[in-house]
Amino acid sequence: MPFLRHGSYRIRYELEGPADGPAYVLVNGLTQYAELWTAYRDALIARRFRVATFDLLGQGESDKPALFIGQDDQVAALHLLIDELGDGPVFLSGISFGGLIALRYAIRYGQRLAGLVPMSCFAELPPQLALLGNALRTGLILGGTSYLQDLLLPMNVSDQWLEPVLDKLDQVKRQGWLVNDVYALQNLMESFLDFQPLTQQLSSIGVPTMILNGEFDFLTPRALHETLRIEIPDSALVIIPKAYHAFTLEKPALTADLLAHFAEDVIAGRWHGNKAVWIAPEDAGGELVPFPAGYDHLRAIPVQRAVR
Amino acid sequence: MSAFFGPLDAEGRVPPRQQTRAAAFLTSAHGALARQFAAALPARFESAWQTELNAQLYHEAEIVSLLLRATSWVPDVALGVMTMSWETAWLPQPIDGISDPRLAPAVGLATLAHSVHAGIRPAALLPVEADANDPFAMALRRIEFESGRVLQAQILFLKGPDLLPFRDAVSAALERRHVELRKLWAEALEGVGITDRD
Repeated sequence: MPFLRHGSYRIRYELEGPADGPAYVLVNGLTQYAELWTAYRDALIARRFRVATFDLLGQGESDKPALFIGQDDQVAALHLLIDELGDGPVFLSGISFGGLIALRYAIRYGQRLAGLVPMSCFAELPPQLALLGNALRTGLILGGTSYLQDLLLPMNVSDQWLEPVLDKLDQVKRQGWLVNDVYALQNLMESFLDFQPLTQQLSSIGVPTMILNGEFDFLTPRALHETLRIEIPDSALVIIPKAYHAFTLEKPALTADLLAHFAEDVIAGRWHGNKAVWIAPEDAGGELVPFPAGYDHLRAIPVQRAVR
Repeated sequence: MSAFFGPLDAEGRVPPRQQTRAAAFLTSAHGALARQFAAALPARFESAWQTELNAQLYHEAEIVSLLLRATSWVPDVALGVMTMSWETAWLPQPIDGISDPRLAPAVGLATLAHSVHAGIRPAALLPVEADANDPFAMALRRIEFESGRVLQAQILFLKGPDLLPFRDAVSAALERRHVELRKLWAEALEGVGITDRD
């Protein structure tokens, strides 16, 4: 198991796929660990991508700083990993908290990237998200990792995903519970609850950017992704139908296909963000369709868009 | 060697030798914390935060009491030497960079308590097939769960405004305590066939 070194801390990473292929770097969300990207690794390698995954500081097999974990430390760890990839094109994608770290990397080291895919992501903490984040942190403190998982699961995935695993939820949660420590999760949560908004800096992201947002994501709803779409110049927003916050867990085949398509389009010069809004297909292999003209993609009912 | 207790007996219980080793370590660590909290407890409280010291003392005492009664103890000849090294490790240590005679011992106690409550996860050693109604398994789950709550006092103190000027010194002392404690815990478990996941 290879490790990078950031100061006195070790960061566990995996690098697989053809060394001469374009690279995809995938950044975990809060309670996740690198193995959750296995389906992505397999799908992307089959399409000739090199895939890098890692555990953020405080997660999985990476070291868990005892008291303080700064977002800058996570960006530095990501920077170390991307330095390992040589000079070829690098596409960076992250989910939720990992998406935030990817955004911060793109703001700081955007010239190193060929493309960016923030998923279920945010650049600021409006009251709902701040209060939810604080409540989740309190849940972690009072009820431990298992209770945090209990809170997150129904928020993050659909009934269709939950139904068949309802009688084995302990099994579903066990690996996440084993590899996550309360104090380290708390440090991670506290590192994003006090962050300063990135909105003003988003316009400096010059790389092609595909923003992915689940149709039913109420943890980080559409308005938060809209900020990214409006501010990042070469971006497009893609809405994943019938998906919740953790659609990367629930729809790996579709999401991996979208990631691969995006990178292939960028490399072939076919990508034009145009700040467009698209609807993803329900299954891998389908086509993106434009959000119906004249309707407001920020609403959940078909309301005519106000003329802006 | 395994990352979990076992092999379990037919009823899903942890082998007594492993119970004894793990419980001896935990009793030593939480017993040391109980003694140190008791020594730090003033006869009369002057500040609100001192009420937390009282709670911590009784939490540690509860853990010791729980383990004494829930463990299937068996003789373990290695415990003599191990207990000496554990008890030596729990002694107060100087904190580099903090010379204040009032603050340094408080930081020392908080770093030890943080490393015990945060760094030791005894319930994570239970395999899925462990009997949920076994008192030893239940005790480990309770200790791990309660430690996550009690830990908050250490987090609040160590991240608090009084120690902001000493952030690097506190972090270094805490990381050192974590490493030291994990090493002792790993060595204790290794002798009864359990490898440390870290």
